[in-house]
Amino acid sequence: MRNTFKKGGIHPEAHKEASRGIELLKLPRKAVVPLSQHIGAPARPVVSKGDKVRRGMLIAENSAFVSAGLHAPISGTVAEIVPVALLWGKSTQAIVIEADEEEHRADTELRQEYWANMIPGESDRLLSERLSPEEIRRKVSEAGVVGLGGATFPSHVKLDVKSEARPEMLIINGCECEPYLMCDDALMCAYPGRIVEGVELMMKAAGIGKAVIAVEDNKPEAAASLSAALDSAHDISVRVLKTKYPQGGEKQLVEAVTGRRIGSGKLPASVGAVVHNIATAFAVWQAVATGQPLIERVVTITGDINPQERKNYIAAIGTPFNEMPFTLPASPKIIVGGPMMGRAAVRLDAPVMKGTSGLTVLDAGVKPNVRACVRCGACVDACPMGLEPYLISTYGRLRMWDDAYAAGVSDCLECGACSYSCPSYRPILDYIRVAKQRCKR
Amino acid sequence: MSELLKFSPSPHIHTSRTTPGAMAHVLIALVPAVFCALYFFGLPALWVLLVSISTCVATEWLITKYMLRRPLSINDYSAVLTGVLLALNLPSNLPLWMVAVGAVIAIGIAKMAFGGLGCNIFNPALVGRVFLFISFSAAMSTWPLPDAGFGDADGATGATILSLVKMGQSTAEFTPQDMILGNMGGSMGEVSAVAILIGLVYLLVTKVVSWHIPGAILLGLAFIDIMAGYPVGIDIVSGGFLLGAVFMATDYVTSPMTKRGMLFYGFMIGVITASIRRWGIYPEGMSFAILIMNGATPLINRHMRPSRFSPRQRKEVAV
Amino acid sequence: MQTVIYTIVVLGVLGLVGALVLYLTAKRFHVEEDERISRIEDLLPGANCGACGRNGCHDFACACVEKGSLEGLVCPGASAGAMDSVSEILGVAPAADRERFVAVLKCNGSCTVRPRVYEYDGAESCAVMDAVGVGRSGCAYGCLGCGDCVGACRFGALSINRETGLAEIDPQACTGCGACTAECPRRLLELRPVGRRERRVWVACSNRDKGAVARKVCAAACIACGKCSRECPFEAIDVNGNLAYVDAAKCKTCGKCIGVCPTGAISATFAPAVVNEKI
Repeated sequence: MRNTFKKGGIHPEAHKEASRGIELLKLPRKAVVPLSQHIGAPARPVVSKGDKVRRGMLIAENSAFVSAGLHAPISGTVAEIVPVALLWGKSTQAIVIEADEEEHRADTELRQEYWANMIPGESDRLLSERLSPEEIRRKVSEAGVVGLGGATFPSHVKLDVKSEARPEMLIINGCECEPYLMCDDALMCAYPGRIVEGVELMMKAAGIGKAVIAVEDNKPEAAASLSAALDSAHDISVRVLKTKYPQGGEKQLVEAVTGRRIGSGKLPASVGAVVHNIATAFAVWQAVATGQPLIERVVTITGDINPQERKNYIAAIGTPFNEMPFTLPASPKIIVGGPMMGRAAVRLDAPVMKGTSGLTVLDAGVKPNVRACVRCGACVDACPMGLEPYLISTYGRLRMWDDAYAAGVSDCLECGACSYSCPSYRPILDYIRVAKQRCKR
Repeated sequence: MSELLKFSPSPHIHTSRTTPGAMAHVLIALVPAVFCALYFFGLPALWVLLVSISTCVATEWLITKYMLRRPLSINDYSAVLTGVLLALNLPSNLPLWMVAVGAVIAIGIAKMAFGGLGCNIFNPALVGRVFLFISFSAAMSTWPLPDAGFGDADGATGATILSLVKMGQSTAEFTPQDMILGNMGGSMGEVSAVAILIGLVYLLVTKVVSWHIPGAILLGLAFIDIMAGYPVGIDIVSGGFLLGAVFMATDYVTSPMTKRGMLFYGFMIGVITASIRRWGIYPEGMSFAILIMNGATPLINRHMRPSRFSPRQRKEVAV
Repeated sequence: MQTVIYTIVVLGVLGLVGALVLYLTAKRFHVEEDERISRIEDLLPGANCGACGRNGCHDFACACVEKGSLEGLVCPGASAGAMDSVSEILGVAPAADRERFVAVLKCNGSCTVRPRVYEYDGAESCAVMDAVGVGRSGCAYGCLGCGDCVGACRFGALSINRETGLAEIDPQACTGCGACTAECPRRLLELRPVGRRERRVWVACSNRDKGAVARKVCAAACIACGKCSRECPFEAIDVNGNLAYVDAAKCKTCGKCIGVCPTGAISATFAPAVVNEKI
C-alpha cells in the first residue's frame, strides 16, 4: 500500500502529455532579467548601462540575507536597467542584456558543449565529502540558487539549518502533482545521477543524515531511473507515493513521507524535516560541481497546443516567452506553472524567471455559469487542510474577516481543490484568497 | 497580438461534475422506481407523475420569472427531480388537483420562498408530501392495491404493511417476494425495494451520493428495531424507508456537509423513523424523521466540523 | 358543565401564571432608557454605516444623550436640519456649520485612455481581481470597475459608469460616511471637503509607478512631473512617491493646476475657467 497524505485531495486528469526528453531552447538575443525573482529583498545590480557581461557573470548581488544573486544568462552588453512588465502585468526593475551575432554564436557553442558533457561525464563522488557545509552553502548562495518548485525561496538560507532544530530527514519533492507540468519528471529521467549527487551536497550542507526522494506513482520511469542511480553507499531512498493532488504541498508531502503533521503556521523543521524541490537539487549540483550559476532551468510547454509542440526545454532565464515555439489556440489562456496553482499570464513578451516551471496553454472556451451552492460538501471533502471552503469563501464575500480567521483561513494553501471540485462552478478559492490576504494584513 | 489573452484566478481546470449532472444522475437512478410505479399502478400513476413534474417546473418558472426576476433556474433539473420524488411519495389514486397543490407547496413554499436551490432548509418533495398528508389524511392513506400490467386500476384499495402493524393485524398476506418486488399497497415509488436498490447502486457507482447517509439510517433503524424486538427486514422493505434513505435523505441541500455529520444525521433519521413506527400514532415516520433532521442540519454543520489538518489554535482573533 | 368550568379555571390559572412570569421578567430586566435616545435615533439616517465611529445609529444617539452635547459627535449622513433638531432635543445651541465631506475617485483611467490588456474571466469582484492580478487594464493601482464600492454604499450614491468603466459618485447623494473608502481594495476613494460652492480639485490617479511606466498603462496617469506643484500659488500640491497630491486644506480651487497637467490627471468639479482664459 503506497502512502499518500490522508486528508482531502483530488485526482485531476494528469495530462502529462509532453515528451519526456529535454531540448535546448535557443538562447535569446535579448535577455530580460528581473531583479526580484525570489522571495526576499530584490537583488542589487552590480552592472550599469553599457557594461559588457559574459554568460554566467554576476550582474546583481544579494542585498540581504534572504535574497539571491543574479547572473547574466547570455553574454552581451547591458542595454538598460528599466522597469518591465512581468507575465501577470506588474512591473519590476530588470536588467536587459543584448547580445551581438558573435557573442550569441559563442554562447550557443559553449552551452551545447556543457549540456553534451552532462550525461557521460565522470561523476565526482567525493565532492560532497571534500567540501565543508559552509563552502557548499557559499557556492549555492553565489550561484543564486532558489527553490525551483515555485516558491523561489533562496536555497542557501533554507540549507543553513539551525543546529537546535536538528532535522532528521531531507525530503526531496519530486511529486510534481500539478497536472500538465513535466519539467521535474523530465529532469529525473534525464539526470538521475546528478540529482542524487545534488541531494548528497544538500545533506552535507544542511547536516542531515538521511534523505528521501518522493515521487508519485504516475511517474514510474522517473522513480526507476532514480533508484538505478542510487547505490548502497547512499543514505538516500526513493519513496513512491500514491498520486493525489496536492501531494507537493509541503505539509502534505511531509505527512505522506513521515506520517507526521505540521502544525498551523509551523515549518517542516518543527517535525524534523526539510523539504527541497528536485530541480533545486539539480541546480545545487550544477552550482557546486560545474560552477554554473542558476541561469537556465527546465521549462515545460504543454496544454491545448499542437502535440508535437508539447516539450520540455532548457531555457535561459530572461528568454521572452514569445520566442518559444508554440501556436496559440482559439481563445488562449496561458498559465505560468500548472493549471491548479499557476497564474494566468496577461502578456507574452515577459521573460522566463527562476520560478517558472512551465507554460500551460489552455483553450479557455466559454466559462460555464456559476450556479447556487447546493451544499454537497465536495469542497469540504477535497480540502487537504480540513477546512470548510464553502464557509470561508462566504465569509470572504461578506467581508467577515474575523470569522474567516477563526475558520482557519490562514491554513489555506490555495491549492484550488475546492474550486476544482465544486459542481456549481463557484469561485470558492477566489474569495478565500481575498479573506486570506485581509487576515494577513 | 490582436486576440487578448484570457485571465482568471487559479485553478484553471475543473472537474467534469456539474450540479445539473448530479441531478440528472439521480433522475436516471429513479428510472427503475418510476418503471415499477407505472407497472404496478398503471395509468393513474402516469397522470400523477406528469401532473407533479409539470406543476413543479411551472411553479419554479413562474416564480423565477415574475416574482424573483432572476435568471431561470429550471435547467438545473432540480424542479424535475422534486416533481418525480413528490409523485413517488404519493398514492396513485390521489386526486390530481391535490397532486398539483402538493407540487406548488413543494416548490413555492419549501424551495423558492427560502431563496431557491441551495437555500432551502427542508426537502421540498417531503414538505409537499407532508402538507398533503396532514391536509388530506384520508386521501393520502388510501392505498390502491397494485394491479400488475398497464391496465386501469380497478379501484381496489388496501392497507399497507405498516398500517396493518399499527392496527395490530397480521401481515401474513404479504409474502417476502411481494415485499421485495413491491407487489403491495403503498406510495407509487416506495413499494419496490429492488428498484430502489438498483438506483442506490447506480448512485454509489457514479459517486453522486456516498454510503454514509443510507448506511447510517439503516443502522439507526436496526438499532431501535432490535431494541423493540421487531424484525428489521420487514421494516426495511415496508413503507417509505428505502425511498427516503436513498433518495430523500441524501439530498445535497438538506443534508450535512461532513461525513461525520452525515453519519449522525442518518443514524438519527433511522432512530426517529423506527421510534415513530413502533411507538408513535402514525404508521409511517420516514418523512417526519427526515424533515426533523433537515431542520437539525445547520446545527450539525456548525458542530460537526471537519477535523483540521493542523489542530485548531486558541489564538486571539486578529482584527 | 363541569368540564367547561374546569377548562376555564385551568386555562385561567395558566394564563395568570404566565402573565406573572412575563411581568416579573420584564421588571427584572427592565432597562431605563432616556426617551431622548429614541427621538434622536429617529432623526438619524438609520443606515448604521459606522462613519461616526460608533456601533450604529442607536449607539450614536446614546452617546449624544450621555454627553449632553454634540461636541465631538458628527453624523456625516444626517442633514444639517436634522442635526439642529438633535441639538434642540439635547437643549444645546446648534453646532457650528461643520464641513461636509464627499467621496472622490482617485482614478481617471477610463476605457479610452487605459485600454484593456486581457479578458477577465473570473468572479466579478474588485477584491477577487485585486487579489490575483493587476486588473483588466494592466494598471496595478487604478479602478477595477467591478463595483465593490457600489455594494458598500447605503445611500445609492455610487454607480459604475458603463462607458468609462469607472466608479461614479453622485455628490448630492453622498453623505461622506466613508463606507466605500474601506471597501475599495485599492483605496481609491477619498473623502474630501465639499468645498466652497462645491468646488473640488484632486489628483484623479493613484499610480505610484515612475512616469514612463505609468504612462504605458494609462494615458491619464499622473507622471509626477511636478508642473502642478510649481504652478500652484498656494503650495497646495505635493509630489511624493511618483504621485501628486492636492492638500484640500490649502487648495483654494483656482484650477490653475488643471490646465498645466500634461496628462489630465487632475480632476475638478468645475470647469477651470481661469486657466482657459489664459490659453
